This record gives sequence, C-alpha cells and structure tokens, in this order.
Amino acid sequence: MVRTLAMFTDTSLCIGCRACQVACKQWNELGLEVPEWTGGYQNHAHFTDKTYRLVRFIEEPGGKPNGDLAWLLMSDVCKHCAEAGCLDACPTGAIYRTEYGTVNINQDVCNGCRYCVSSCPFGVVSFNESTGTAKKCTFCNDRIHNGLGPACAKACPTESIQFGFRDELVGKAAKRVEKLKAMGFKDAQLYGADAKGFLGGLNAFFLLLAKPSTYDLPDNPRLPQRNVMVDSLLSIGSALVVGLGVLLSFRERGKGGPHA
Amino acid sequence: MPKPPHWELMIVWYFFLGGIAGGAYFTAAIADNFGGARDRGVARAGYLLSLPLVAVCGLLLIADLGVPTRFLNMMRTLKVWDPMSIGAWIVGVFGLFTFVSSALSLSSSPSHAALRRKIGLVGIFFGFFLASYTGVLLSNSAMPFSAGEGWGKLKHADRYSMLVELLLLAALIAALGAAARPLVSGHFATLFWGGLIGLGLLLPLALDLLGTRARALGALAAALVLIGGFVLRYVVLMSVQA
Ligand code: SF4
Ligand code: SF4
Repeated sequence: MVRTLAMFTDTSLCIGCRACQVACKQWNELGLEVPEWTGGYQNHAHFTDKTYRLVRFIEEPGGKPNGDLAWLLMSDVCKHCAEAGCLDACPTGAIYRTEYGTVNINQDVCNGCRYCVSSCPFGVVSFNESTGTAKKCTFCNDRIHNGLGPACAKACPTESIQFGFRDELVGKAAKRVEKLKAMGFKDAQLYGADAKGFLGGLNAFFLLLAKPSTYDLPDNPRLPQRNVMVDSLLSIGSALVVGLGVLLSFRERGKGGPHA
Repeated sequence: MPKPPHWELMIVWYFFLGGIAGGAYFTAAIADNFGGARDRGVARAGYLLSLPLVAVCGLLLIADLGVPTRFLNMMRTLKVWDPMSIGAWIVGVFGLFTFVSSALSLSSSPSHAALRRKIGLVGIFFGFFLASYTGVLLSNSAMPFSAGEGWGKLKHADRYSMLVELLLLAALIAALGAAARPLVSGHFATLFWGGLIGLGLLLPLALDLLGTRARALGALAAALVLIGGFVLRYVVLMSVQA
C-alpha cells in the first residue's frame, strides 16, 4: 500500500459557505435534489445518495464560554474508516479499499442489497433508487489517482478541509488542538485521528469544538459485526433446545423407537 | 445517526417463508430419522413443502435487490463472518438439499430412504441456518437494536417450541431494555402483544394444552402460530427501522 491519504476537517475554521458541498456535487455530477426544511440552514438533514459532503449547522444553547448560544459548523463526510462496517458487510465485494487506504463502492458490482446502508455506524451510505446501487463519498477516487486532491478540499476557502498524507495531517491536527485549548476552547478535541482508537482510526478525521454527540456523531462507534459470534452461539443453543423438543415429541409418537 | 436499509414487506415474507422452510425440513428430517412408521407422511410433507418455499425465498431476495440482474454477484465472495453473504449462500445450498430430499422422498426404495435420512441429517443444519441467521443479520447492523438473537426461530405447532419461544421473547425484551420500547409500547405494541403474544402464542398454547383431539382445533392452533410468526418478523423488522 502507498502512504495512506487523509482528509482533516478542522471545524473551528468552517464558515458554513458550503463551497465543499457544491464542489462535491459538481465534480461527481450528483444532480439536483428537492431542498428539505430542517428548521435551520442545514440542507439536507442527513447524507443522501446525492449529497456526499454535508455541512452541518448546529445550534447549541449555552455552548459558548459566556453562556451564549454556540453556532457550530461542521463539514461532514464519509470517514473512510480503517475498519469499515460497510466494507465488512458487503456480500458482493463491491466495497473495497484502495491502495491509498480509502473506501470505495464499485458501482458495476453493487447489486443494491443495502446491507452496507445499515452497517455504517455514521449512516453515510445511501441507496440510489434510479441506479439501484449504494452511494457514498469516493474520496474523489478519480482525482486522487490523477494527482489532484478531493474537490471539497480544493474548494474550501478557509482550509477547514485539508488533504494530505495521514501521518502529516495527524501531527498538524494535534498542534491545532493545543492552540485552540490555549485560546480557551476547552472542549476542542480530535475525532478519529488516533489509529489505536475506535474503528482503527478514520482516514477522514475531524477537529471538534464540543463533544461528538453535539455533532450527531457517536461517542464511541463500533463495528456492527461485533455480535456475530455471540448471536450465532445463542441461535445454535436455541436450535438444540427446539431440536430436542421435536425429537422428544416424535419419540413419544413413534413409541417403539426408530422405524417401528 | 445510522440509517435503516428500507427492507420492507418482501423481506418480512422472506424471513417468514424462510423460517417455515427451515422448520419444515428440520421437522421432516427428525421425523424421518427418529419417528416411527406413522411419521413417514410427516417427513415427506415436510420435505415437499420446503422445496417450493425456498424457491420463493430466493425469488423474493432477488426481487428486493436494487439491481436484480446482478444477484449472482453475491456468489463472487464468501465472507464467513458476514450474515448477508452467508445467508445468500445458504439459500442456494439449502435449496439443493430440499430438492434432493424431495426427489428421494418420492421413491419407495429402501436404499433411497436410507440415503435420504443421512442427507436429511446434514440438511437440518442448513435449514436451521436459514431459519435463524436473519436474527443474527438484524442484530449485526449499526441500527440501535443490537441484542442477542432470539427471534429467528422455527415455527412448529409444537408445545416445546412455543414454550421456548415465550422464554426467548421474554429474554429478548429483557436484554433489549430501553431499545425494546418501540416493540412493546410504541407504534407496534398492539401487534406485538395482541397479534404475537396473544393470538400467536398464548392462544395456540392453551389450545394445545387443552388437548388437540379435535382436528379443527389443532389446525386452528397451527394457523395461529403461523400468523404469530409472521407478526413477529413484521414487528421486529419494521420497529428496528422506525
Ligand atoms: S464512514 Fe461509513 S461508509 Fe464511510 S468507510 Fe466508514 S463505515 Fe464505510
Ligand atoms: S448495497 Fe451494494 S455496496 Fe452495499 S452491501 Fe449490498 S452489494 Fe455491497
């Protein structure tokens, strides 16, 4: 594998202009959508099959140090998890990891079973009715294979979205958190930067100004496949009990034993 | 926030028919191997019932895909830890078993019968798998409903399994805790308590315990259990995604 690429989204720099969201739509030719009334500036409420980059507008009463309303902005995207629930779930092998460490869906292989949709801990994958396939951020696969950065990072006017090698970006991000803390943002924290943390680290990681749940992010996302072993054992156990019951009732009825 | 996959009525039917197919084969194979001469008919009926049911299951699964013509892509990989991948394979493999067992059950030769019994014992495994992996599948998603497997069970008009089912449902609700709320007191509560627990379990159990000498009562109990099985799958699948 080549050196892992990453996107670092520093939410403290986001001004909510949505240049990233528009650039993503244009480059990936995602098409029109009917806007949604979400009660605020955010559109849409969640990722869709035509919205891979989504700027979240979050109003948090009392979120500022002086008790005022905090207006938090965050440009959200597929996390390209090192241990990706969607990839593990896909039964066709349509979801694959590129040599850069990103996670992509091969549109020619996906058959639209939708298991990945329910297996992403962040609700990123969306089903497209017209193609019948699953859609999500590709990390601009075509661009990164031609020496360009992702369209969203390119368009961002404040460098809130940065693109580069993962190890370098993590270093930068750590320094940035220290600086913000010194400035009084006591809840400033990195989300997904730690490769030893949840999901093996996220290749699109974030700097947040409040706890993850404020941004609609799980505090400690886990691989959905974690239950397979226990569940399978439980179901084998119930098989034995039911099997025994059926066996007993046939024994009773058969009386003289097998094939009497 | 995790997203629901929008698996709807077609998948409810698939879970339901898959459960019956697995259960029918399971019962047939046990009756075939351990039952007496009187149980031959049960065995044959079970085998012959499971074949068309699995076929319908396969068609339902394919029809529910976004691109049905690509259903063979499921056969590109086999992921042993992935319930969706295993499930697709199981439908195919179990389908083969039901086909062979059904064909053999039409023959009266003793050597065919011996072969059929052996095949049945292996097929049981796949049948049970088909009937129960769906529970593992549902609990292994990012949706907030991740309790242990407890509902993907077989449907027999049999008091042992009804008792086991009541116990498992109680365990399921206890294990789910707050996550069970949409099931037991939400939008689906009436269906859950009335349709599943009342009509689908308690009533047939009572009929069964009272004695099913009367054939009509026995048939009623069996039909009620089947309805309960359908309701169970419906409320579980829909409330997970609500
Ligand atoms: S964020 Fe979701 S869609 Fe993206 S790689 Fe992780 S599990 Fe897959
Ligand atoms: S919908 Fe497509 S990409 Fe998603 S799990 Fe199914 S086959 Fe894989």
